[in-house]
Amino acid sequence: MELPLIVRLQESETPFFPATCPDVAEAGTFCGVSTTGHELAAPGPGEQYRFHFDMTKCIGCKCCVVACNEQNGNPAEILWRRVGEIEGGTYPFTQRHYLSIGCNHCVEPTCMTGCPVNAYTKDDLTGIVRHSADACIGCQYCTWNCSYGVPQYNVDRGVVGKCDMCYGRLTRGQNPACVSACPEDAIQIELVNIEEWRSTYKLLANSPGMPSADDSLSTTRITLPASATRDLRKVDIIHLQTEKPHWPLIVMTVLTQLSVGLFAAIAWMQFLGIGENRFAAFAALGVAVAALMASTFHLGRPIHAARALKMWRRSWLSREVLLFSLFAVSAASCSASLMFGFAAAPVVGAITSLLGIAGVAASARLYLAPGRPAWNTPITFLEFFATTSLLGAAAASAVSGRGFYLDSLLVSAIFCGVSLALKMIRLRFATRHELFASWQLLASVLLNRLLLRAALLVLGTWLVIGSQNAKVRIIGFLALLAGEFMGRYLFFVSVVPSNIASGYLAQEAA
Amino acid sequence: MSLLQWFRQKSGLDTRASQYTYSDDPVLGYTSTRKIADRWVNTTCGYCSVGCGMQLGIREGNVVSVRGNPDHPVNRGKLCPKGLAEHYAIAADGRALYPLLRKESALARISWDEALSTMAQRFSSIQKKYGSQSVGVISTGQLVTEEFYTLGKLVQLGMGTRNYDGNTTLCMSTAVAGYKRSFGSDGPPGAYEDLEIADVILLIGANVAENHPILCTRLEANQHKTLIVVDPRVTKTAMMADLHLPIKPRSDLALVNSMLRIIIDEHLFDTAYVDAHTTGFTELFASLAPYTLEYASGITGLHPELIRRTARMYAGARAPFIGWTMGVNHSTKGTETVNAINNLALITGNVGRAGASPFSITGQCNAMGTREAGFTSSLPGYREFQSDADRNELARIWNIDASRIPTKRGLAYPDIIEAAVAGKIRALWVIGTNPIVSYPNIDVLRHAFGNLDFLVVQDGFHPTPTSELADLVLPAAIWGEKEGTYANSERRVSKANRAVDAPGEARTDFDIFLQFARELGCREELFPLWQSPADAFEEWRRVSSGRLCDYSGMTYELIENSAGIQWPYPAGSTEDPEATRRLYADGLFETEDQRARLIPTHWSPFPEQPSLEFPFVLNTGRTVEHWHTRTKTGAISILQQLSPRAWLEMNPSDATRLNLKPHDRVDVVSARGRVSRVELRVTEIIAAGQVFLPFHFAETNVNQITQSAFDPISREPNFKQCSVRVEKSPATRS
Repeated sequence: MELPLIVRLQESETPFFPATCPDVAEAGTFCGVSTTGHELAAPGPGEQYRFHFDMTKCIGCKCCVVACNEQNGNPAEILWRRVGEIEGGTYPFTQRHYLSIGCNHCVEPTCMTGCPVNAYTKDDLTGIVRHSADACIGCQYCTWNCSYGVPQYNVDRGVVGKCDMCYGRLTRGQNPACVSACPEDAIQIELVNIEEWRSTYKLLANSPGMPSADDSLSTTRITLPASATRDLRKVDIIHLQTEKPHWPLIVMTVLTQLSVGLFAAIAWMQFLGIGENRFAAFAALGVAVAALMASTFHLGRPIHAARALKMWRRSWLSREVLLFSLFAVSAASCSASLMFGFAAAPVVGAITSLLGIAGVAASARLYLAPGRPAWNTPITFLEFFATTSLLGAAAASAVSGRGFYLDSLLVSAIFCGVSLALKMIRLRFATRHELFASWQLLASVLLNRLLLRAALLVLGTWLVIGSQNAKVRIIGFLALLAGEFMGRYLFFVSVVPSNIASGYLAQEAA
Repeated sequence: MSLLQWFRQKSGLDTRASQYTYSDDPVLGYTSTRKIADRWVNTTCGYCSVGCGMQLGIREGNVVSVRGNPDHPVNRGKLCPKGLAEHYAIAADGRALYPLLRKESALARISWDEALSTMAQRFSSIQKKYGSQSVGVISTGQLVTEEFYTLGKLVQLGMGTRNYDGNTTLCMSTAVAGYKRSFGSDGPPGAYEDLEIADVILLIGANVAENHPILCTRLEANQHKTLIVVDPRVTKTAMMADLHLPIKPRSDLALVNSMLRIIIDEHLFDTAYVDAHTTGFTELFASLAPYTLEYASGITGLHPELIRRTARMYAGARAPFIGWTMGVNHSTKGTETVNAINNLALITGNVGRAGASPFSITGQCNAMGTREAGFTSSLPGYREFQSDADRNELARIWNIDASRIPTKRGLAYPDIIEAAVAGKIRALWVIGTNPIVSYPNIDVLRHAFGNLDFLVVQDGFHPTPTSELADLVLPAAIWGEKEGTYANSERRVSKANRAVDAPGEARTDFDIFLQFARELGCREELFPLWQSPADAFEEWRRVSSGRLCDYSGMTYELIENSAGIQWPYPAGSTEDPEATRRLYADGLFETEDQRARLIPTHWSPFPEQPSLEFPFVLNTGRTVEHWHTRTKTGAISILQQLSPRAWLEMNPSDATRLNLKPHDRVDVVSARGRVSRVELRVTEIIAAGQVFLPFHFAETNVNQITQSAFDPISREPNFKQCSVRVEKSPATRS
């Protein structure tokens, strides 16, 4: 899967080359570098450690990568420090440069703010973003939240890991492994004043081959060659691969949305005082429970799933888990109320629906992750709520055997179609490489699946609306459900992650 | 795995945390507990000839880590990625463990006694039938000097065949031949320190950033240099240059000759030096007549003023250094190009001065050792087969009749192969090299191997593409499992030490040679009372005494204590062993009249020019993550991760014309064969009309398509240019 050669895309929406690029010495003074060399002072108030990467010195030998893996005992496929290639110019005035990047130890680390279990901490003294394998439950949310692809999931361990600037070495007065290994002295640790960095980072942290430093306020200072040309770009952006589907999450999101939609329909019926909803409520409850069970299979450490509630004040993932847990409890109460004919049933039904809708909103919000540009848009809310209303309306009409929801089903189906169309339009006309690349995937290797998804939407809607026969309506509902599963599958596999530049052969060709 | 274990892992109770702990190590500092050693062994890297000092960390009999030796003058603690992962080579999959003999078409395990007696018996019966010269030996640049010295005596005096050469003929023989012709002896005159002192550094066909990355630390340390890189590709090294000369393939000789002419025309040369220390200036000057700027510009594709500027920079420099590697050597005009480079250094008086030398950067870790001690293209100690005095001197040291020493060298590597094709060589002993991947135009080599009555392959790994074809496989210890010395590019002799035992029944090459000598009945005569490499080293010290490559002042202890000593270091020397030494600083050369020769040279186009059928010029080379035929580095997962497969570089204009896209799988076809399904890299690194393919990968073996064309003097193959076409690979079912 390739992009056409002549289409030269932006790697990021941030311009790399400011009109006036400060030279290193000048930059050094105004961005708060207070020390160089081996004697590294402890950070003072408002300061932290950061990496300085000097692209003018790097020869792309990858010593840092090997040294990092040796230091941390990682398997070969997990690289906490990576070296990417960027190229520009025209022969013989070709530019080829290398980017050696570990973790950027961001001022506003998105890995940390998203983490549901507080596995990440930003060290008070050094500013190093540290990760605790003990605390981690292997949800991998950080791998979506970091636009640099820094945290990496170790399948063998069931947890994520990342560069900690060799915290243990630094605190013992030793250089990090990458710094010591570099034959060209291209990587250094230095101090940065955080407040000054906030006003200067745009000039000093951005580079061709790097996602925008805006996402998380990367602290890595990158010295670009004075001769760097404007067309320097990643060498690996032409070759595209689909992402992993994350089946437990497909099941979880589609089924929670189905359950929430159905409860909302039940609550509406309760409000109108029509219908016999006991069976529908139990079915919806069953779906919700199944969805929550499914989600734990996504975790590297499912036994610690309950920890995911911990960071509800900060993490949208925690909030999602919390809201869906409350939703499930409320759904059980709602089902029981209906079963026993409690007078409070409509109220409980309304609460259940509101919790569910909040849960779906949290669910959608958590996919707005900087490292997954195709998801990082309000259209994700549209998609998730379209699924909720579509499946809710279709399920209600299927299980209740009533045609009451046909209008809302039609509206939902149109809603679904519109959100899909909006998504495709956004991707098609994007200038950012990762977004256009998603379009390329959907329009080529995933096209048949995309067409099937649209066909199932139309077919299901037609069957449910067009037939008086309950069985046909159930078949119609199942078609819609299958269509939404396909849609969610495409959601996951068609996203092209933002990342730092990699080597040309880093990915296996399709 | 028990059910409980499975549950503990799948549920997340067990995160294998015990494998991911850290501890304090007195040498490495705070690091992964798995890397912590209980003892450290000093050694020298076994890959390239930079000769980095390193230390191997051993725990419970296993090598668990490696680090650069901070006290070693060559690398000062740094290592390249191959070195940083070198400890994995020792316990890598695919080590040769037992002697194997082909019985009824399959290789079967046998004892060492049977292996060596079979080998002796087969060799002698073949020699009886077809003559003593019907057995050939091809060795390597990877053994220790003690082993090269031992093997040379064993082959030439014990086995009685002259047809002995090494794979060094695939890399360094051109530099050797060029040095011999210009200076009367082999031996790179300069030192690495020159890279820090020189004010102009001219690298010709040398991609040090990829192939000798640790030398780049010297370039980086020299902030006052002008770095000029001559290379048809925009290599990593070219990106470091102040001035990149993107010449057309194999036009370097025309460039250098043109520079020579400008320097002479503009009287920028050192008349006094030329008069005092050289001969042949008049002939040289006459030979340069055709090399006008316009002529050279047409050949090289460089602007005439750029050539003039480069010549003036070189001639005007206080201390100009020229380094070259395979871009020069891998050529049918290689030796002449080396001579032209030497001419440039000679007429400007830039040989052996601090910062100024014509310096061939060597390939393998101990290619220098075999050049000095090897008994292949010359007698040990840079002595000449043709010289009665040299032969008599050796016979005296060895206590043998001088008539046993051959009066001329035997066949060079490519000529051994051609003799096998012709049925004249009937048995071959291949030691520590993998010709099926590294030899040009391997169909010829396969034909040659097919003609053999008996093929012995001695290697640390099995199966390799070569050992698979063997009739007898001898398992050898590798780097880290044996002791001896390596000499690096700057003639620095360092110690390689044994850290662990060889696996299975593998033996050191030294032991194999001695045991084979006993089998032949010549052990006591040739290697009296020898038990260990130290015994060979003692004799080698005596053999080298008084020669240019004088080791006589060195002992193992002194070498260890000083982290390497540059030769010449004669016995009784009062010099600091660690002092930098250069050759010919006094202007006295190893020729009879002690004057260097200025040798006229003539550019001609490379042998296979592009045609309608094969429109591209194919360039070959390397990548930093891999070593030669990947026998070792292909078995090291981190290096494979970083460089998993070969690629073909092609300029975007060519790709567009051929309707090829990045990452397409392409076939590269020459008149000799086809390399299938290489991943295409469309890049401005390479000029239009040229393509580049690295040679490391047996799976996409560039030597399916390279050419049987050899330098007439050094016999080195013309690996760097041949003509090919590129086609999109047919789709395969996947």
